[in-house]
Amino acid sequence: MNEELDSQLSAMFDDELPQGECELLARRLSRDAALQARWGRYAAIGAVVRGDVRVGSSVAYKVHAVIAAESAPAAQRPVAFAGSGGRTASLWLRGVAGAALAASVAAVSILWLQGGLPGGAGVLVARAPVPAAAAPETRASYVVPRAVESRMTVPATELANYVVAHSEFSTPVSRRNLLSALMASEPAAVGAPEQSLGSVDDPNPHADDAR
Amino acid sequence: MQMMRVSERLAWLALALAAASSALAQEPRQWLERMNQALTSRNYDGVFSHWQDGRVEMLRIIHRNQNGQVTERLASLDGSGREFIRTGTELTCYLPDKRTVLVESQPGGAGSLLASFPSFDEKSAGFYDIQEVMRTRINRRDTRVIAVTPRDEFRYGYRLWIDETTAMPLKTQLCDAHGRIIEQVVFASLTLASHIADAAFRPEVATDGFQWLRNDPTPVGAGVPNTSALWSALKLPPGFRMTVRSAQVLPGAHDPVAHLVFTDGLASVSVFVESRSAEVPRDQPALSGVASVGSASAFSTVIDGHKVTAVGEVPPATVRFIASSVKRSELPLAAGPSGH
Amino acid sequence: MSADVSDLSLVRRVQSGDKGAFDALVLKYQHKVTKLVMRYVRNPAEAEDIAQEAFIKAYRALPQFRGDSAFYTWLYRIAINTAKNAVVSRDRNPVDYDLDMQNTDESYELQGRMKDAETPEGLVLTDEIRTTVNAAMDALPEDLRTAIVLRELEGLSYEEIAASMDCPVGTVRSRIFRAREAIDKRLREVFEGGLGRTEELG
Repeated sequence: MNEELDSQLSAMFDDELPQGECELLARRLSRDAALQARWGRYAAIGAVVRGDVRVGSSVAYKVHAVIAAESAPAAQRPVAFAGSGGRTASLWLRGVAGAALAASVAAVSILWLQGGLPGGAGVLVARAPVPAAAAPETRASYVVPRAVESRMTVPATELANYVVAHSEFSTPVSRRNLLSALMASEPAAVGAPEQSLGSVDDPNPHADDAR
Repeated sequence: MQMMRVSERLAWLALALAAASSALAQEPRQWLERMNQALTSRNYDGVFSHWQDGRVEMLRIIHRNQNGQVTERLASLDGSGREFIRTGTELTCYLPDKRTVLVESQPGGAGSLLASFPSFDEKSAGFYDIQEVMRTRINRRDTRVIAVTPRDEFRYGYRLWIDETTAMPLKTQLCDAHGRIIEQVVFASLTLASHIADAAFRPEVATDGFQWLRNDPTPVGAGVPNTSALWSALKLPPGFRMTVRSAQVLPGAHDPVAHLVFTDGLASVSVFVESRSAEVPRDQPALSGVASVGSASAFSTVIDGHKVTAVGEVPPATVRFIASSVKRSELPLAAGPSGH
Repeated sequence: MSADVSDLSLVRRVQSGDKGAFDALVLKYQHKVTKLVMRYVRNPAEAEDIAQEAFIKAYRALPQFRGDSAFYTWLYRIAINTAKNAVVSRDRNPVDYDLDMQNTDESYELQGRMKDAETPEGLVLTDEIRTTVNAAMDALPEDLRTAIVLRELEGLSYEEIAASMDCPVGTVRSRIFRAREAIDKRLREVFEGGLGRTEELG
């Protein structure tokens, strides 16, 4: 928490920061998700004080997505893709755009597991990688995280594989939703392999109706 | 003949009214059909939010149908960098965060007994209530809201905001039998295009150094038994019937799994049975609990020494039911020593 | 300090290809634009849709923005035009926003649930934000609260606030900053935490 920086942010928000400092801060603001999140919360505070109807707002979030979807030259990829592998993006989502509902306690979302299933198929040995003959030409615009563990052992992708194999037989809407779920980057800790097939019976329904 | 008796006229009127009301009752279903048609046959490029389990992702979908050949690209806008690209025969999953590309060959139709695409028919109607709930506007488009309500707890329901002009679903909710919303997709922008160039379907991921894993959709080899014919389900939840029976070797795996598909016309459940049981002790108790991938449920158990997993966009109880009722069939000719 | 320096430095970044800078502008003005649009359409959800459209129009037109007027003035005009056009096209094809539904209990229930999901995608907890901010404001020392109210509600500049509170400009800046900090501390829990909320689930 850099207080000087935050104090500048507050002044810039009020348009009371000298130009030179504005230029510098603007550059940081566009890259730093946490700083943007704070900036967004300043706006929310103002909205409450003025009594605006829609205090939380998804407008920024949607506008961001629509603009992000437009092709960007490689050099100007949104900050979310720079190196940190997605954490920055989820910070932006949650911090800036609004509150994340408390995750349902029971449901475990399994995507790609490490290390093999307990008592199951064991460790799946990687096949020799198929040469990229089938790979379409790619634009190298995504910065791949450099620190990656040894990949000799295939992550036990069984469950996600099953979902992918199953998706062919779903309705268009279901398939889209299923594949969308697989698009998410998983939370930092997926959990020990023992939990891999879900340690809970029949996940609880969501607490939406608590409101 | 011209002078119909009053009673005849009334009877005729009653028939006409009955026909008219059933035509109206058809309407909501027709909206669903139009929607599925639009999702498959139109060209579109959209950005949508996917809400599930308290998390939101923004995704982009680009879809093209060129003379029946479907190409589709789904890309994460939130930093995972993941992309899925479907062509007529393959689904390629780019996972930059895992430095892996999965290629799932989907010959489509191989091994199907019936059409593999769930189709909603009279029988299915017995298990779902379909109603037009209201007309409203989303993003300033007129939409019809169609509610598909399950009649029991074995399946999920939907609420669909279907654009009146294009029949595209601008907003979709998946609900459980109590009406609680489990998943929601809302388009933030959607463009229907007359033409989409090939370039739009190229992934934006550099795959140098990635491992590529492919499935083998038609495992053959000496001694590989006709895996899938060994298995079937003893009991199924009401309305579910088997529509596909096949086998494949999943990406990164060695041995084929049998793949059976059951559907009630709307929801579908896949059952995978592993052919090798070497590492699974015969009397291992069922692996714990139900897992989920997004709003889909999965349940694994061990039957006759083989690991059986059911996956589908249904409530947990349903996958548990189906997986647990899988049974090895009797073969007319002994395939050799039992248990391979 | 000339007005609009802050916005202009962000605008210049957007014009050189920095999309993140546009996000910052949207974040700052989304409430104001939505409120403005609501003069033309009463339904908040529809207003947000129009606001979204206005921002996207602004983004596309930004390369042509020369700084002849303040950024917000320019954005304001775009928002009004977008809202007016929306109303015109809506009036051509009137569809009731009021629900056209059967009068059964079940359908009312349906309506209630849909409203929940209307605050979409898990994003917005308007009431919670409002409650949190108000509670934090109440807890502020008077000089901090006064400073931020004069700034946000009355729109006074630091100089004007300094005059009104009879203190140096530097003190005004500091008070507003500290007020925001105190409120933000509580707000962060709403925006980022799942932790704070699991207690509700029991």
